[in-house]
Amino acid sequence: MTRTITRIFIAAWVAGAVLAYADEQRCNGSARDCEQQIRQFLGGKRFLGATIRDRNPGLVVTALTPGGPASRAGLRVGDRLITCNNRTLTSATPRDFKQLMADARESGKLRMIVWRRGRYELVDAKLEPYTKEQIEKIITAHLSQSHTSSAGAQR
Amino acid sequence: MFDAILAKLRIASRRGGQPDRVSILLPFLLIAVGLGVLAWRSYNLSVRAETGSKTLARQYAGYAAEITSSRVDAAVRAELTRVSEEWQQLERRLGEPNFKELSEWIAQHDWIVTAIYVPDYDPASSIYAAEHAPHSRNDLRLTREFYTPTGTIRYTYDPQRLLTQPTVLSAIRQNPISPSAHPSKGLGIEQQAKIAFVRGQAEGLSTLEDGFAAVSQLAPPVDTFGVRAVVLMEYIGGTGWQNQRLLSLLVSLLALVLLGIGALLAWRGMRKEAETMKLRGALIANVSHELRTPLSMIRLGAETLKRAKLKEKERLDIEDQILREVLLLSHLVENVLDVARIQNQSTRALAFTPVHPRDLIRNLLTTYESWIRSKGFTCSVQIDDTIGEQMWDRDSVSRALLNLIDNAIKYSADDRAIDVVLRQNDDYVIIEVKDHGIGISSSDLAKIFDPYYRAQFSDTITRRGAGLGLTLVQQILESHGGKVEVESAAGSGSTFRLLFPRDLGGEAAGIPALGAPREAF
Repeated sequence: MTRTITRIFIAAWVAGAVLAYADEQRCNGSARDCEQQIRQFLGGKRFLGATIRDRNPGLVVTALTPGGPASRAGLRVGDRLITCNNRTLTSATPRDFKQLMADARESGKLRMIVWRRGRYELVDAKLEPYTKEQIEKIITAHLSQSHTSSAGAQR
Repeated sequence: MFDAILAKLRIASRRGGQPDRVSILLPFLLIAVGLGVLAWRSYNLSVRAETGSKTLARQYAGYAAEITSSRVDAAVRAELTRVSEEWQQLERRLGEPNFKELSEWIAQHDWIVTAIYVPDYDPASSIYAAEHAPHSRNDLRLTREFYTPTGTIRYTYDPQRLLTQPTVLSAIRQNPISPSAHPSKGLGIEQQAKIAFVRGQAEGLSTLEDGFAAVSQLAPPVDTFGVRAVVLMEYIGGTGWQNQRLLSLLVSLLALVLLGIGALLAWRGMRKEAETMKLRGALIANVSHELRTPLSMIRLGAETLKRAKLKEKERLDIEDQILREVLLLSHLVENVLDVARIQNQSTRALAFTPVHPRDLIRNLLTTYESWIRSKGFTCSVQIDDTIGEQMWDRDSVSRALLNLIDNAIKYSADDRAIDVVLRQNDDYVIIEVKDHGIGISSSDLAKIFDPYYRAQFSDTITRRGAGLGLTLVQQILESHGGKVEVESAAGSGSTFRLLFPRDLGGEAAGIPALGAPREAF
């Protein structure tokens, strides 16, 4: 009985090791390299905290990150984007809006006019860098997914 | 024209013939100038053809680089677009993309190194993936972003690997300019440009050792790279005997050689002419001297006859003297005239008549006996009586013999004896004149038959003579089909032999005239 349990344990350990090895092979930079790159990628003011969908034509806010820059600036779910930084968005795609966001990466200011319940509203949103917690979460997720065996040791 | 040149060449090459003219240079000069022009034209043509093909190759390289770089740019753009389209399809299908999909997407495009996906709604659920096994650790990494309806993808990629994608490579492998229907050999350039990527090279055209290379920069994002097109060129003039430049060089060399030959001939002619002029000057001096001496003698004799009352014996002596001098004078004048004829190549008909050599010699010696004796010479004659009549020109043979006797007297030493022998062998009738005089040195022996030539002695000027005697003798013998032989050494006397071919039954009809075309006879 104990022999069987030992065998199962050994088999599980081997399988785990193989899997861990295979997992580690997914991203073969060191964990620190990955972490640096992720931080570099996510640097800069680019977090709005709103999901914008194409309503064809026009863009509509469909979700907001609680406590994110957009909800704090007064953007609401269901708002239709009319202009942003002097650009008309009545027939734009989400890609155009993201390009606008990327263009405003330096200053971080987005001055938007939205259509809400039959009237226009002015919304001044400020883009923010991703928060530390968010970045940590991404790093942890990446490390746990592809650096499983060495993640704990490396950190 | 060719015949004329040949004739001139023949004249020029004949020793002792008509003096050469500088004009011999003219045909050579003409031909040389013609060849020179030909060579120059051929050289010019080859240079122009080469310049043309160079221009063509340069343009070809430039076009190839430009066209290919724009094609590559399009291919790169297409590849980037394709990548984002593929991701968006993936995203649409799956709704929520996760790490596995992102890894697969990277694996599909092996030029993407890392990628991070940030959803708009919840950045905290972003995913990051790096490539499975990087091919190389290249320092050059480019970053690119694209937006999907739900998020943003930002990825880094290796541009060098992007440029080796099949779609990009197919753009580079295409021949940018379709080969023309004409074979490329006539242009001397290769129709296929060699195209490759280069990194960090300035845009522009450069000249290679054997062709041209043009570099055209690619558009962003891969603007650190360029496309380099190399068009090779080979010399258009061909190789070996087809090489136009070699040919023109050879032709110009030929022209130079011809010009050299012409100049040589002209120089020889000029030298010979100058020599002849010098000799002719000497002749005039000689002849005037020769003419004056007998003339003054005749005048002296005639004046004496007229003024003084003389005894019969004295009168006869003076008459003899006058006659002698007149004979000498006429002999001299005849010589000069004959040589002038030789010089002018004019014809003079010879009168070949049956002559008995014995009678000829006897008559001559009788005529000039008093003259010979007056010089203090004795003449012994030895005649073979078996010799019959010969077809000779009496006058000219007499003159030849007389010239030899004259020479013997002129160049004599203390022993004043002359032997004249007439004999024959199987082929020739021979008249031999032998003296015991100063002889002829071997260096002079070869030249004594040249016109105006006189052997150099310390007292050449004081001795009479125009330097024409032996020339005349030789001409006369040649006209009889015979020849002159000399046997001599300095200080031991000379023997001149006149060899006439034996008359074997009236074959004299074939004997040519004096120094002239044979049919003139």
